[in-house]
Amino acid sequence: MDPLKEPVPVMPTAHYAMGGIPTTLWGQVIKDEKNTVVPGLYAAGEAACVSLHGANRLGTNSLGDLVVFGRRAGIHAARFARDADYHELTEEHLGESRERIERIKNSTGKEKVAALRAELQQSMMDNASVFRTGELLQKQVEILKELMDRYKRISIDDKGDAYNTELVEALELGYLLEVSEALVHSALNRTESRGAHAREDYPERDDENWLKHTLAYKVEDGKVAFRYKPVVLGRFEPKARTY
Amino acid sequence: MQVTLKILRFDPAKDKKPRWETYQVEAEPTDRVLDLLHKVKWYQDGSLAFRRSCGHGICGSDAMLINGKNRLACKTLVKDLGSVITVEPIRGLPVEKDLIVDMEPFFAAYRAVKPYLINDEPPPQRERLQSPEERARFDQGTKCILCASCTTSCPVFWVNGTYIGPAAIVQAHRFIFDSRDRGKRERFKALGSGSGVWRCRTAYNCTEACPREIPVTQLIEEVKRAILFDSF
Amino acid sequence: MAIKSKRYQEARLEASTNLELYWWVFMRVSGVVLVFLLIGHMWMNAVLVDLNSIDYDYVAKRLSQTTWKVYDWLILALALLHGGNGLRYVLDDWVRDPAKRFWTKVVIYSLLAFLFFLGSLSLFNYDYGVN
Repeated sequence: MDPLKEPVPVMPTAHYAMGGIPTTLWGQVIKDEKNTVVPGLYAAGEAACVSLHGANRLGTNSLGDLVVFGRRAGIHAARFARDADYHELTEEHLGESRERIERIKNSTGKEKVAALRAELQQSMMDNASVFRTGELLQKQVEILKELMDRYKRISIDDKGDAYNTELVEALELGYLLEVSEALVHSALNRTESRGAHAREDYPERDDENWLKHTLAYKVEDGKVAFRYKPVVLGRFEPKARTY
Repeated sequence: MQVTLKILRFDPAKDKKPRWETYQVEAEPTDRVLDLLHKVKWYQDGSLAFRRSCGHGICGSDAMLINGKNRLACKTLVKDLGSVITVEPIRGLPVEKDLIVDMEPFFAAYRAVKPYLINDEPPPQRERLQSPEERARFDQGTKCILCASCTTSCPVFWVNGTYIGPAAIVQAHRFIFDSRDRGKRERFKALGSGSGVWRCRTAYNCTEACPREIPVTQLIEEVKRAILFDSF
Repeated sequence: MAIKSKRYQEARLEASTNLELYWWVFMRVSGVVLVFLLIGHMWMNAVLVDLNSIDYDYVAKRLSQTTWKVYDWLILALALLHGGNGLRYVLDDWVRDPAKRFWTKVVIYSLLAFLFFLGSLSLFNYDYGVN
């Protein structure tokens, strides 16, 4: 295309998700503020949160997530696998996953994955972007409730078992909704501005009340509980990023 | 504009042979073929299966045969193709479903050339230094994204299937010509065999197909020469 | 279909000879040598002498000399090997079915061996009545 004759199409994308599944320095998933490890479960990369970025990941720093902590998680997982025994896979364990898949495959609902996802993306962009207010976040809480309700009525065309990418997209949408919920509720809860979380109604950083990690727990659709974990500061004080 | 999209589809559960399906899609001239496939999958027929990940030509997932040429769906614009677009899976690999092929033979060839640094010498105090010229020697091979466009456009690969293929040779080239690497003899074993570089007939299909503009055929010839001068 | 070796250890086992390299070099060298041999051959038979004056006696006289026997035998051997190997490349590239490929090769190689035998026999084992 010729930029002299027509405008260059530009669109923003989310290129990194801060926060994630909390892990130890060895990639072991932890489940609470006391750093209780979930044995045998590991997370690394953008999905994980070793917490090396503070409240705003700086450029190229996610390489650390990948190269350093990916390697450490791999080493530790290999060590764990050497001594661990196989668990028996019972119907009880399989049931929930199987039911998740079967429900989507057998559903005759009218909702479509792509349309629902587009609505989720648009509303998250509008209401829960970097600059946010309590009002908008509250609005998004309601929107998410509605979307989660509609998600129960999605159906798919592909009923097959081989490379069912439509089923994968449908499952992923469910996870996207849950992650969105954790994000929006936590953002609404945190009444300060810090790093990439800029509350226009609370523009100042508040170390007295909020120098702590949020751990979000799903109670039920639309209801999230919080716990908090202290920040390990070490050598660096939290400071405003100025240029 | 209205685009007629013809896709060669195959469902292993239902079809004995691949079949053509035609879709009408509303598209902008600046839309990518990947956008058209998404429009079909998301709004017309969800059962369409294809691989894609990053969407801008880095991950190498969405190589397909578009209007008869191997290209990345995410780097091919509608305005360069016209209003009738055909999409088929890349050739020479077994089709799993629709546009998804079994990449295992491709990666078996990739593994066979040992695509990693081999050097058993004790590491120096600091980095293994390399001059800009030494780095430039193998620069072109580093651009490879393993999309398989080259290997699956190669007539020798289509017919016999035992040919190691251009992509694996490009990967070998990247290490053979790396001044820090000491593993070229090990790689020559796979490359010099009956299924190695000597099967190349310089058809240049690979060079034309490469979405990263790597001069694939030239690199293959350089590997041939390296083996030759290593043996005589 | 596909690459036979799934792991590089297998590829290593499969790949223990330099045979294909030697064939590749042979094709290049024999190609160049053949060009000169054939230019010489044509020079001799079409430029130095009038084509129409070539008869049995002329050929018989020439082939009674060892030098010419070797010269012509070189052309025969190199042409059959060069052409035969080229044909092998083509068969490897274009005949999909392994059994069919094998039998086509058996027939072609037998034919080549027969031609070579026949040519060598007529070059070295016959005095052409000249003495």
